[in-house]
Amino acid sequence: MAVSFGSLKPVQLFDTLDILGEGTTLLVACLWLGLIISSRPAGPVTEWLYYGSLLLMYSYFLDLLDEFIRYPDTLRLMSWLESLPAPVGMLLLTYGLVGWHREQRSIDRQLRGRELFLRDHHLIDPLTQLYGADYLHAVLGREIALHRSQHKPLSLLLLDIDDFAGFNRRCGIAAGDNYLGQLSELLSSQLRHSDVICRYSGDRFVAVLPDTSDVQAQIMRQHLQQHLSMLCKDDNQPQLTLVCSSVSQSSAAAALQAALNAVTTARRQHAPLTVQNA
Amino acid sequence: MLPRHFSYQDKILLLQHGCTDLLHLAQRRGALLHKLLSGTSIFEQDIQKPHGRLHHADWLKLLQNCQQQLNSPELPFLLGTTLLHNRYISVSQCLLYAADLKQALRQLLYFRHQLFPGIYVQLYRRQQGIVLEFNTGLTHGQQHSTAMTVLLSLLLSLIKLQLGSSDGISAQLKHQPPALALPYQLHWGCAVSFNQPCDSLLIEHHLWHQAFSAANPAKFAAARRTCRQLNRILPRQRGLLEHICQLQRRALPALLSLEQAAQQLGVSASMLKRQLNLHKTNFAQLLDSVRRDAARQLLQQGCYSNRQLACKLGYSDEHNFRRAFKRWTGLIPSSFKELQNSH
Repeated sequence: MAVSFGSLKPVQLFDTLDILGEGTTLLVACLWLGLIISSRPAGPVTEWLYYGSLLLMYSYFLDLLDEFIRYPDTLRLMSWLESLPAPVGMLLLTYGLVGWHREQRSIDRQLRGRELFLRDHHLIDPLTQLYGADYLHAVLGREIALHRSQHKPLSLLLLDIDDFAGFNRRCGIAAGDNYLGQLSELLSSQLRHSDVICRYSGDRFVAVLPDTSDVQAQIMRQHLQQHLSMLCKDDNQPQLTLVCSSVSQSSAAAALQAALNAVTTARRQHAPLTVQNA
Repeated sequence: MLPRHFSYQDKILLLQHGCTDLLHLAQRRGALLHKLLSGTSIFEQDIQKPHGRLHHADWLKLLQNCQQQLNSPELPFLLGTTLLHNRYISVSQCLLYAADLKQALRQLLYFRHQLFPGIYVQLYRRQQGIVLEFNTGLTHGQQHSTAMTVLLSLLLSLIKLQLGSSDGISAQLKHQPPALALPYQLHWGCAVSFNQPCDSLLIEHHLWHQAFSAANPAKFAAARRTCRQLNRILPRQRGLLEHICQLQRRALPALLSLEQAAQQLGVSASMLKRQLNLHKTNFAQLLDSVRRDAARQLLQQGCYSNRQLACKLGYSDEHNFRRAFKRWTGLIPSSFKELQNSH
């Protein structure tokens, strides 16, 4: 339309500085539009931002065009078309930015809550650098609900040190602490990244194995057992009881209790490193 | 003659009697030594000295530092066990080689100033067994529960070791129940109730004379000799609050005045007042707590009427006693008795 109404300016009337300035603003507006399209998910806030910058781009484009084209003085329409969309576009953009700000704030809040839960260093046992019992309860509850809704198998692995108090007495608490450190390192190196390993109490470790069937858990248990037997070369070191159980209970406390009972029965049979299904 | 009394700034604890063990435990859990010692007057070089000493304020500060820097709920439990098995603490050796619980506890009571100078014990008999009631001879503030846990862990691991289990024992603790009672179950293995009026241990009668599995009279005598020798450099001393409570307890049903107590302790009344301020308490409060504890203990032993109790505790009549009792416990004496018997 601009081309049909106006006539081309002679080359000597072109103002290079103006062209440079207005060209740059147009390019930047284009860049904004591109960034918004590429980085934002679809939604009302994105639409406001999109239309706002589109209008701004349109207005800057006309602005740049009139550097090259002269319109007849009677035609007011072109100057309206040029100057009106810019403030409207700015307003739309501002409205969209306010929406973006709100959105970001609520996301931040949510993230902060989640970080607090997952990364709270208070939940980590300082000696073994594993999670403690609080964390185990929370994670197990969540995993049980998740696995139930998706009909996936969930398993638990328990490692119990027999007569750890006696070991501490014979060799000193320093040796006991050292041994716990070794065990925790072995556990975290031999289990998968998805498994959550916790030090449930002084001499008990529990690993939550997500999306693991009973058969897989047995294989992992045997694998771990081999590594543990390498660790236990010294006769002086305590016997270990390793038990895995598939979770069928609906609450974390019940599942843990069943697994702990399995440990006691395994121990009572005087056969360490036996398999029990709870 | 009354033993000397001490306050926060008297160097009455040996570094080897707990402090080094605590530091080692905390360091293995990743705490930094200089941070653990910050705010105390202990120097890193002094820690290994055989007769290095620290005062009680430092000990409390150390416990607080450990709590702040580490989230390790098992720490006080482990400290108690470590103290029991430490070969350099002759009181612990005494306990380990004693013939039975009675002899062991008698030694601990007699030599407690070497290991737990800030805590004193009252014994009384109940139907189910004998109660050991633990009180602090110095105000422990926030560290009260930690200090009690250390002492009770030591006692209970001794009992578990020598008698095989801690059946027939129940623990009552003053503080709020923690979020997770797991460490208590694991380390103590006995019934524990929280929010109780005092820190105490109820031990059934038959356990007192059951022979210890590691009893060894010769080693016991040797350890006791070492304790006696240690008494020369660590003389028997009592906390100020313990002293005053003891004086008042003996004086019942009469009530001591501040001046009388100060005279018996050999200080001026204003000095005593200042010292009590340091312990964040005052004389009237102490007298009240003595009467409260005495009332509770007498009631638990049973067979006293309100009139007799009022008379024993120095109240003018039983109405006053009942009112005071309700202020302490929120219950009238008869319902308190019923509640105790139902447990």
